[in-house]
Amino acid sequence: MTYYLRKIGFFLLTLWAAITLNFFIPRLQGGDAAEAIVQRLVGQGQAVDPAQVEAVRNMLGTPDSSIMEQYFSYLQNVAQGEFGVSYSYFPYTVTHMIADTLPWTIALLGITQVFSFVIGNMIGAWAAWKRNGTFDSWVTTFSNFFGSLPYFWIALLLLYFFAFELRWFPDSGGYSGNTEPGWNWAFIKDAARHAALPAISLMIVGPIGWVMGMRNNMVQVLGDDYTRLAVAKGLSQRRIAFMYGARNAILPNFTAFAISLGSLVGGSILVEQIFNYPGTGRLMFEAIGNRDYPLLQTIFLFITIGVLTANFIADLLYGVLDPRVRRGGGAS
Amino acid sequence: MALLDVRNLSVSYLTKKRPPVRAVHDATFSIEPGEIVGLVGESGSGKSTLGNAVLRLLQPPGAITGGEVWFDGTDITRLSEDQLRRMRWRDLSTVFQSSMNSLNPVITIEEQFKDAIRAHQRMSDRQIRDRTAELLEMVDIDPSFMRFYPHELSGGMKQRVNLAMALALRPKFVLLDEPTTGLDVIVQRSILTRLRGIQQDHGFAVLLISHDLGTVMEVSDRVMVMYAGEIVEEQDTQAMLAAPQHPYTRGLLGSYADPKQTEVEISYIAGRPPDLSKPHQGCIFAPRCVDRIDLCLEEAPGYTMFESGRVACHVASMWLQKPNGEGLPPRRAFASAVFDERHEARAAAAPVLQVEHITRTYTRRRGFSTSTVDAVVDVSFSLERGQVTALVGQSGSGKSTIARMVTGVERPDAGSITMDGTIRVDQLRGKALKDYRSRVQYVFQDPFSALNPAHTIRDILSRPLKNYRGLGRGQLGPEIERMLERVGLSPASQFIDKLPHQLSGGQRQRVVVARALAPNPEIIVADEPISMLDVSIRAEILQLLDELVKGSGISMLYITHDLLSARLLADKILVLHHGRVVEHGDASEVITNPQHEYTQELLNAIPNPFAMEAAAAD
Amino acid sequence: MSDTEHVIAANEGQPVGSPSLTLAGETEELPRRGLARFVPRWFRILWENNKSRAGLIMLAVFVLTAIFAPLITTHDPSASVGLPNEKPSSEHWLGTTQAGEDVYSKLIYGSRVSLTVGFLAGGLVTIISVLIGLTAGYVGGIVDDILSFFINLMMVVPTLPLIITVAAYSPVKGLLPIILILGFTGWAWGARTKRAQVLSLREREFITAAIFAGEPTWRIIVREIMPNMTSLIVAAFIGAAAGAIGAEAGLQFIGVGDLNSNSWGTMLYWANNSGAMLTGQWGWLIAPGLALALLMTALTLINFGIDALSNPHLREE
Repeated sequence: MTYYLRKIGFFLLTLWAAITLNFFIPRLQGGDAAEAIVQRLVGQGQAVDPAQVEAVRNMLGTPDSSIMEQYFSYLQNVAQGEFGVSYSYFPYTVTHMIADTLPWTIALLGITQVFSFVIGNMIGAWAAWKRNGTFDSWVTTFSNFFGSLPYFWIALLLLYFFAFELRWFPDSGGYSGNTEPGWNWAFIKDAARHAALPAISLMIVGPIGWVMGMRNNMVQVLGDDYTRLAVAKGLSQRRIAFMYGARNAILPNFTAFAISLGSLVGGSILVEQIFNYPGTGRLMFEAIGNRDYPLLQTIFLFITIGVLTANFIADLLYGVLDPRVRRGGGAS
Repeated sequence: MALLDVRNLSVSYLTKKRPPVRAVHDATFSIEPGEIVGLVGESGSGKSTLGNAVLRLLQPPGAITGGEVWFDGTDITRLSEDQLRRMRWRDLSTVFQSSMNSLNPVITIEEQFKDAIRAHQRMSDRQIRDRTAELLEMVDIDPSFMRFYPHELSGGMKQRVNLAMALALRPKFVLLDEPTTGLDVIVQRSILTRLRGIQQDHGFAVLLISHDLGTVMEVSDRVMVMYAGEIVEEQDTQAMLAAPQHPYTRGLLGSYADPKQTEVEISYIAGRPPDLSKPHQGCIFAPRCVDRIDLCLEEAPGYTMFESGRVACHVASMWLQKPNGEGLPPRRAFASAVFDERHEARAAAAPVLQVEHITRTYTRRRGFSTSTVDAVVDVSFSLERGQVTALVGQSGSGKSTIARMVTGVERPDAGSITMDGTIRVDQLRGKALKDYRSRVQYVFQDPFSALNPAHTIRDILSRPLKNYRGLGRGQLGPEIERMLERVGLSPASQFIDKLPHQLSGGQRQRVVVARALAPNPEIIVADEPISMLDVSIRAEILQLLDELVKGSGISMLYITHDLLSARLLADKILVLHHGRVVEHGDASEVITNPQHEYTQELLNAIPNPFAMEAAAAD
Repeated sequence: MSDTEHVIAANEGQPVGSPSLTLAGETEELPRRGLARFVPRWFRILWENNKSRAGLIMLAVFVLTAIFAPLITTHDPSASVGLPNEKPSSEHWLGTTQAGEDVYSKLIYGSRVSLTVGFLAGGLVTIISVLIGLTAGYVGGIVDDILSFFINLMMVVPTLPLIITVAAYSPVKGLLPIILILGFTGWAWGARTKRAQVLSLREREFITAAIFAGEPTWRIIVREIMPNMTSLIVAAFIGAAAGAIGAEAGLQFIGVGDLNSNSWGTMLYWANNSGAMLTGQWGWLIAPGLALALLMTALTLINFGIDALSNPHLREE
């Protein structure tokens, strides 16, 4: 019980911290943040759109308001879901833009992440089970090399070879112009075709982190005393592999799953940009390019809250999986 | 036909980078149905390796390099894993060491039983639950515990569960590897008694492996002694007690004594076990043997059989052929540790440390609830100059907490600790605390953890010399050498630049003592200084401690759970139970004439093979 | 365990410790001959492991390339020396960029950028994580609670979006802000592992012994604890360097870094934006990414050997 309370407390506290962090980032440059940004836009020789200044002022407050005032009005805005207007997509609100792109990212991320986790852990467990065998050596070498490859480079290569040279997949976008968005089969098929390359690039590198982690966990667990005793008991190989090996080895990976969401989100930003995929990542990229600060801020906030929530859910689930934290008792 | 027949079994640890370590060499023995056979050995003897090999539970890099294991007429060393699996648990089961994690942490006790049973028998859930309840009751555990997870049970309970599970399928043979080591002495006694009862009821054969000779001898019909991978002697228990043949067995037996006797004496075996990665010639025990003759260094002895057993020793063999010893040099004894009685001095000694009514309570916050533990309750005692006071108790008795309060690491919640009549130890802080530390030093329990593995002996010993005695560069070397000689590490030059892992456990402990002596303290607090050492070398360290007190007039607070060493070393004994002093007085008085029920219980719980001998003699 | 837990566990009948029984011969040091005496232990173990040896060699190649860049390049990497968007030729082995710069020369000089960022940012991350982890682990109590909260916070906050956002606001462009940003955002995981290591070391009796020998706190931390953490710190540094190299490339690729640098990430940014795919300039497109991948692989391989160092189960025996 106390475990759950602690996790809830942590979640609320980090939520508050993330929101506050988001408040302070633009103000790190000191002085009046809004003014500094506006000056920089002017300095870059761009014509400064009054709407832009308006948006920035709305977000960051006027020079004569105190930090505390700004902070509280900021909190108020967050609570009410008021994140201002995106100036690059004027007159759409920031929230609208994000809502538009979010389903695409969630679809892409959600599927690839779950897939990577499942496949990666299974491969890792199998490699550990057949420790030092041929499969294990291949897996280890493969993971080593491919694991250090940057997402975006693989994505670039895939794009180049499969889209440009071979023309198997479309080279950009989420869907073609000639299909009607909506829950119809033609659209879904088209969307899937467009999502294929981004997904593949994510799923090449995605499982690898899990493979090595699970393999090492499992090697350790298989050397543990209760596994040895399970062998002495004459339990079947399958039972040992699952209930004694994998079941215990996956626990640390579980917490890692949630934490890794943060980095996968980062990776997807790059991938979406490369494939021109209409997700929130690409939106963030555009916001940077357009100096659309309200949009940028809010995307960051949403991403952070999303990851925190996923982490929280993973923590709760962990409590279900590991009886040691759930039912009191000290360290194992 | 023997139930278990081990023939010429050899096991080695084969690593790629280092030469192979010969853990077990040419082991041959057999066990009849219903017999309890004990296997005794110290660190590096190979006893656990042998046990694992017999059950084919060895993990790489260990491997069987020769020999066979025949069980019930089948050579199990030649069976495939699949064929062997059918025999596992049903015919031969095992209980691991108590400190190990033998139970899968994520499934309930009931499910663990279910796993073991279902792997070999078809039984319904209901039947399994009934059987589990039956098994748990057999080991004195309430069946309702089967719904619990392993981490919710205490160490003693978990070990009972392991025992019950090992018997689930009514096996013919059970291997017990250090089953009660590390548990509270009283819990140990109850489990062993239970075991004996169950074994008599069900009639399975047992191989009991342990480093504790007393435990093994109390329970077993026959005992095998193992040293450096070889079985050096095997005899019926009573016969071995009355007439041990191998010098090593004699040395082992000599390390034990019944503390309740009026005269108590223990001996030790000098030296350390050999490096099993290097080849050797002759008898493997010869380097440390007091009976050694030239033949022993040239030729390895084979087994000499006699009425109650066998022994691998040239000298023993000669004596067996000529029982009256004509023409043979007399058998020698191992060095005895001599302890000085200081009765006369005690009456006149002034107390150097006065502890009055100290109390310490720990509160622990777990979420929103708090639990309190009364670690120490209203404890009072005094420590006289040049005397040894022993605090005796099991885990959780508060003895270590008292040690920490005496050394200033913790403060009592109530009461006082006074040194020399004037210094209030419980109120010290800052510089005064540091000065106090130069007068009161600490000897640690675990020689493997008390020395920083990254520093040489010179580094380690130079720190207190610099900090407390302000010695400069030039003066350090000679002083360190002097200190090493004082604790018996001679020649000092051989040890001074070594790293801790290059020394044996006993040598490391001597360095720990030397470090404690560096600031010339008046009081030494020794917290279980010998419990982690091999039994056959404990007496040596005890003697060292005794000499320090005798020779330098240092007072010692000796903390232990072991009544034998308390009896030997201490002038005064305090028995602690759940934080309270339940008995105190002269050492020999408390032990030979215990007043409190708990003290009597403690004394009875100590495995005592000699009591059996006495009983058998009646 | 803390003192409290120690006592409570004991009261519940749990065993406290058990005899440590070592296998004779297992702890003997291998004899060191000749030059081997001067080589630190962790280096020897790395060299002996096949994977990390390969990694060390690869890393050496990159370092030498960076140092001797002027000697092995054909042109000034930032100068426009040819026609834009040329395919690989004998004149320009990997072709030219959209501004006519020689891709091959840029590639070679790019190693300087990656190595500098990698090791400086990696170093910064390591220093911060050591400071925080060590303090949290050793001091304990409320300080530990606060620091642990920050560690956990930094771990769940998604790093790349954070870095991107901070970089987007940064008025200054160039390598230094990138190094600083990477340094101040990437320390969390390392801090957590070091804290765990310190917690377990603190329980070892030689720490208490050092207190009894009269050692001041700073000396205990520096002389007693840290020498026992060298392997961990080295491994963390290498991992951090690899991470920083990848992160810097990613930042440059998005365009929030310095668009004029020779970094491999920037090269890919321009390659992507200038339609290298359309013009079929495979050299410009593939080479920077391959170089990046190889460097990061080298570091990962080295870390493989260090994994074996700390977890005996994984050793090749």
